Amino acid sequence: MIVCVAVVGHQNNPLYIQSFTEADDALKLHHIVHCSLDVVDERVNNPKKSGPMLNETFLGLLYPIENYKVYGYLTNTKVKFILVTTDLDVKDADVRNFFRRFHAAYVDAVSNPFHVPGKKITSRTFAERVSTIVKSFGLSSAG
Amino acid sequence: MEEYPEELRTPPATLVSLVGCPELHAAISSHLLTAQPPISTLALPDFSKIHLFIKNKTDPDSLATPPSGILKRDWLLKHRTKLPSLLAALFPSHHLSSADPALSLQLSSHLDSIKSVIRGRNIKLAVVVVVQDDSDEIEDRIIALRKRAEVDAKHVVVLNPKASDPKQSLHRLASTFSELAGAYYREEGRRIKQRIEKKNISSVELIVRYCFKVAVYAEFRSDWTEALKFYEEAYHTLREIVGVTTRLPAIQRLVEIKSISEQLHFKISTLLLHSGKVAEAVMWFRQHKNAYKRLVGAPEGIFLHWEWMSRQFLVFGELLETSSKMHLGFSPIIQGTSSKPLSEWEYYPAYYYQLAAQYLSDKRSALELAISMSETSNEIDVVADSVVPSVYVGQFARLLEQGDNVDMLPITDEEYIRYAVSEGKRFRDSLEIIALLKKAYESYNSSKIQRMSSFCGFLMAREYFSEGDIGNAKQVFDSIASLYRKEGWVTLLWDVLGYLRECTRKNGTVKDFVEYSLEMAALPISSDIGVQRDMGPAGPANLLQREIVHNEVFELVSGASGLATNEHPSNLKITRDESLQVEVDLVSPLRFVMFASVAFHEQTIKPGASTLITVSLISHLPLAVEIDRLEIHFNQSKCNFFIANAQKYQSIEGSSGIQQHRTETAPSLSLEPNKWLRLSYDIQSDQSGKLECQSVIAKIGSHLTICCRAESPASLDTLPLWTLENCVQTVPIKDPILVLSGQKFTQVEEPDPQVELHLGASGPALVGEIFLVPVTLVSKGHDVYSGELKINLVDVKGGGLFSPRDSEPYAVDSHHVQLLGISGPEGEDDSQLDSDKIKKIQQSFGLISVPILKNGDSWSCKLEIKWFRPKPIMLYVSLGYTPYSNELNTQMVHVHKHLQIEGQTAIVLNHHYLMPFRRDPLLLSKNKQASGSDQSESLPLNQKNMLIVSAKNCTEVPLRLNSMSIEVEDDAERTCSIQHGTEELSNPSLLVPGEEFKKVFSVSSDMNISKLKLGSVCLRWRRDLGVEEQSASASTLSSVVTKQKLPDVNVELPPLIVSFECPPYAVVGDPFTYFIRISNQTKLLQEIKYSLADAQSFVLSGYHNDTIYVLPKSEYILSYKLVPLVSGMQQLPKFSMTSVRYSAAYQPSNSSNTVFVFPSKPHFKAAVSTNSRVESVANE
Repeated sequence: MIVCVAVVGHQNNPLYIQSFTEADDALKLHHIVHCSLDVVDERVNNPKKSGPMLNETFLGLLYPIENYKVYGYLTNTKVKFILVTTDLDVKDADVRNFFRRFHAAYVDAVSNPFHVPGKKITSRTFAERVSTIVKSFGLSSAG
Repeated sequence: MEEYPEELRTPPATLVSLVGCPELHAAISSHLLTAQPPISTLALPDFSKIHLFIKNKTDPDSLATPPSGILKRDWLLKHRTKLPSLLAALFPSHHLSSADPALSLQLSSHLDSIKSVIRGRNIKLAVVVVVQDDSDEIEDRIIALRKRAEVDAKHVVVLNPKASDPKQSLHRLASTFSELAGAYYREEGRRIKQRIEKKNISSVELIVRYCFKVAVYAEFRSDWTEALKFYEEAYHTLREIVGVTTRLPAIQRLVEIKSISEQLHFKISTLLLHSGKVAEAVMWFRQHKNAYKRLVGAPEGIFLHWEWMSRQFLVFGELLETSSKMHLGFSPIIQGTSSKPLSEWEYYPAYYYQLAAQYLSDKRSALELAISMSETSNEIDVVADSVVPSVYVGQFARLLEQGDNVDMLPITDEEYIRYAVSEGKRFRDSLEIIALLKKAYESYNSSKIQRMSSFCGFLMAREYFSEGDIGNAKQVFDSIASLYRKEGWVTLLWDVLGYLRECTRKNGTVKDFVEYSLEMAALPISSDIGVQRDMGPAGPANLLQREIVHNEVFELVSGASGLATNEHPSNLKITRDESLQVEVDLVSPLRFVMFASVAFHEQTIKPGASTLITVSLISHLPLAVEIDRLEIHFNQSKCNFFIANAQKYQSIEGSSGIQQHRTETAPSLSLEPNKWLRLSYDIQSDQSGKLECQSVIAKIGSHLTICCRAESPASLDTLPLWTLENCVQTVPIKDPILVLSGQKFTQVEEPDPQVELHLGASGPALVGEIFLVPVTLVSKGHDVYSGELKINLVDVKGGGLFSPRDSEPYAVDSHHVQLLGISGPEGEDDSQLDSDKIKKIQQSFGLISVPILKNGDSWSCKLEIKWFRPKPIMLYVSLGYTPYSNELNTQMVHVHKHLQIEGQTAIVLNHHYLMPFRRDPLLLSKNKQASGSDQSESLPLNQKNMLIVSAKNCTEVPLRLNSMSIEVEDDAERTCSIQHGTEELSNPSLLVPGEEFKKVFSVSSDMNISKLKLGSVCLRWRRDLGVEEQSASASTLSSVVTKQKLPDVNVELPPLIVSFECPPYAVVGDPFTYFIRISNQTKLLQEIKYSLADAQSFVLSGYHNDTIYVLPKSEYILSYKLVPLVSGMQQLPKFSMTSVRYSAAYQPSNSSNTVFVFPSKPHFKAAVSTNSRVESVANE
């Protein structure tokens, strides 16, 4: 189950962060998302270590913490997408598929002429779409 | 890691025992320790002690009953310190000698007892013969001893401590020992391995034990691969018996298994890391962790599990840290299987520390629960006192003392838990958690992983906070708050600020409390992120909470004592006369609490004139703020003014007493959230210079003042956090131009000067003359005090007046235009200038002080400027003065004037040479280069030549020439004679613009040299003064000297000279004779070919072409009769000749080859004598 998704701007500022959990530990998830930016930075600054992932937007598993897994995605405009899930056995293809759809939703949201780039995304449509994507996560391959 | 016993932490070393010759033990053991691999020794003083190694009972492993534990606690220690692999018996060589039967007997009995002892243990035996004297012949006796002791020849070592090189025999000793010890451990290992392979072992526990033993024996002989293999084997076997064995009560069973697996895992990780297989170690740890993570056990003992997990992480982190220190240049490379790749974080020790801390805090909460449960059950735990670790690893037993007898009784799970709880109470976990988090925090920090380190710091500071260590907590919170501020993580910042606020509340630091509260209240949080489980003291991040914080802080500063009655007992108090000033500068996080933007409406103003200034304030606090008074401060303190709130004006004035500053009142100074409060007022300044608004101070309530650094409207873009919010951005000023260009400062101009400055130069300046520029100051309204006149000469084209290309030695010439001096006003003597008055003249810069001038006075001076090159320059003259005599007001007023002045060359000199009339020498050099460029002129030797020098006036003003002469440099040798008329012109001749003045010099040289230096033309001139010319006396007029060097000329001896003779004029029809005289100047015979062309105007008689010979130093005359046919200026027949010897063709010049032909005989009314001579010529 996905517990948190986030969009982080190129100055590492949060643009959109939404948690999907009943456990009311949003703050903890914020911390996790924030910490995962270190990994993104590391991957971006030392591309040789992650060799084969060069020039790929999908960053893969960022870091394992107890009970959670964090995945990352980096667009060409240095906007980061972060996904936190509690599933310990996640298929890479599912995550890739999720990020692709999430990216499309993001592109649509920022293409709104009333949206100022670099500001928080407050679009309600975007939020609804994201929650649909989150709900359908993992279903495609399972079904 | 430190809590593990020493024998587990360090790799095992071979143990040997020495007996006999105790005086040598120290030397031998110290040598063995330094051997590679090191061997530790157990030295026995004499042979009676060897019974220590006797096996006292039968092998318990052979018993059919299952063992009561997996590993014995002291087994490893026993093999490392008590049970040697080898017993070395040392015998002095003289004991071997059969001469003394007593000694021999003793030796035999020793050997027998040794043999009987070591047989039970399979301990190896080595015999060391200590030789005292080299000369001893002991070979036979050694053989006898060897047979007696039943050892191999190579296991008998001869040690000679007195030998020249004792090291050598010690080396041999060490190698023998290590070989024997290796054999021992190999055999022991093989023996136990066989037991495993037989597969008839009654219990799985024994397999684990055997595998462990085999691995340890392998380690003893440094066989790391086998050790690793059997440790892993033991580990996996152990994992299988989880849930299978029922030997112990459930909780204790799990505790034992976990302890064993911990030991095994530790060994495996150490071995992997030592061999550099970091990735494998990490993978191994992950498996280990995952395998045991779910083995939580019974709920009442759950804290034991968390503690165990925490220890696993801590120990592995420490192992990783030490190994990364050992393997320098270690860089994590992502490996692992494709399905579960390792991330780089698993290579950071800090990651493990962080998780160890997390598990430890889990343990703490579980333990607290367990403690509270044990307290409620109200049992008196007397039994816990006597519980001790039992002989098996991971087991505990009750110690029962019955007299001298000590017995171990097994305990139940309840007893064990009670024991564990009471043990757990003795430790303060939070200190441990802080230490772990601090390690992680520092480790991440040193790797520049700032967000992870901030998170660890946050956890650590929270731990400090709950421990009551406010100082440390605040410090760490502060450092991480700055990161969250920078990156705009508002919710995280909110939480941290909440903690900080509580820290300051506990510390009683009011100012910090107010600042943190204001910052929290102004954070851009609008929507709730949801109810949180473990909230900090900040409470949920939402608008309501912001309002609560806002109200709280404003109640505090307004003096309402509501805060103390809160549920928090507060020690925050503001005394009556204490005032609290909050500074908001460019980098302060409080910029969004209150932000002041100041703009002057004009960029420059006149002194005394007023302009508008707009002060705009914005606040992001959730509720409106009522400001009592605003103070606007400028760098010119006279301009400061206050804006008072009209609603509260009375009270303020009453309290503040004497008003020194201008005070405006505004109807309302209420600062609405996110709305600009714009205030515009007039402002004027009398002082010129920059007028800058420095700060805007808002006074709120009786205690709080917020001091905002004034900022220009343009700098609003850099406001943090709120710019990220998706809300409408408003501008501080409605005027669209001022928003972009408005500045917080304006330039106050200086007052208009009331002094006129004239530069009275007329016309262009001439090169060489001293050009005077009159400067006149006329005061028209201002007195002039401490005036200064600055003069600057600037090249119009730029690039300065100095040309580095001219490397002439004259310093004067280094400047093309030079300011020579400044002469004072007419009639004023230079000596009258006071010494304190400045007068500084440089080549292109001058500074002169101006005397005090009253209104209406005038003063003038003249600038003397000299041009060395024709060049236009710009002359800048600026006057600085103060209109008031008092020193206090030192405001300078400046007047600037500039004038462009052309520099022109006055006179252009030209010159050329002429030969005598109708006389042409053959100059061979000239002939050769006829076609090429004429490099230098050539003159014939011994001939009178004429030099004509012309001087042309190129200016637009008439000039007067005083003299023209040719001057030869003094040092130069005089090579020619130059004759001319009088040097001085009696009356300076007037030269109008464009006119040319010519003077003729005759030049002749009789010296046999090739170059003739003529010297230079020297011309003295001055400007024509026009009507004043008569009055000016010659002495007062300084003339300018223009010098121009004449180029050198070549001199050569012409071999031939042709001269023409013909009458001065001719008459049509009258024949006359035309002589051509060719004179040979050489001592050689010259062959000449000549030709005379026909001319239309003449009929001529004589040869057209011929070849003639001219004798040396003689002349040849050709004569032609010519009859002119046409009147007028006529060209004589053209003569040309060729000198065969020089193969030089030669043609006289055209100009001298004409004659005027009259139509009839003219009648001259001249003097008779002249007339008769003309006639005579004509008659000829």
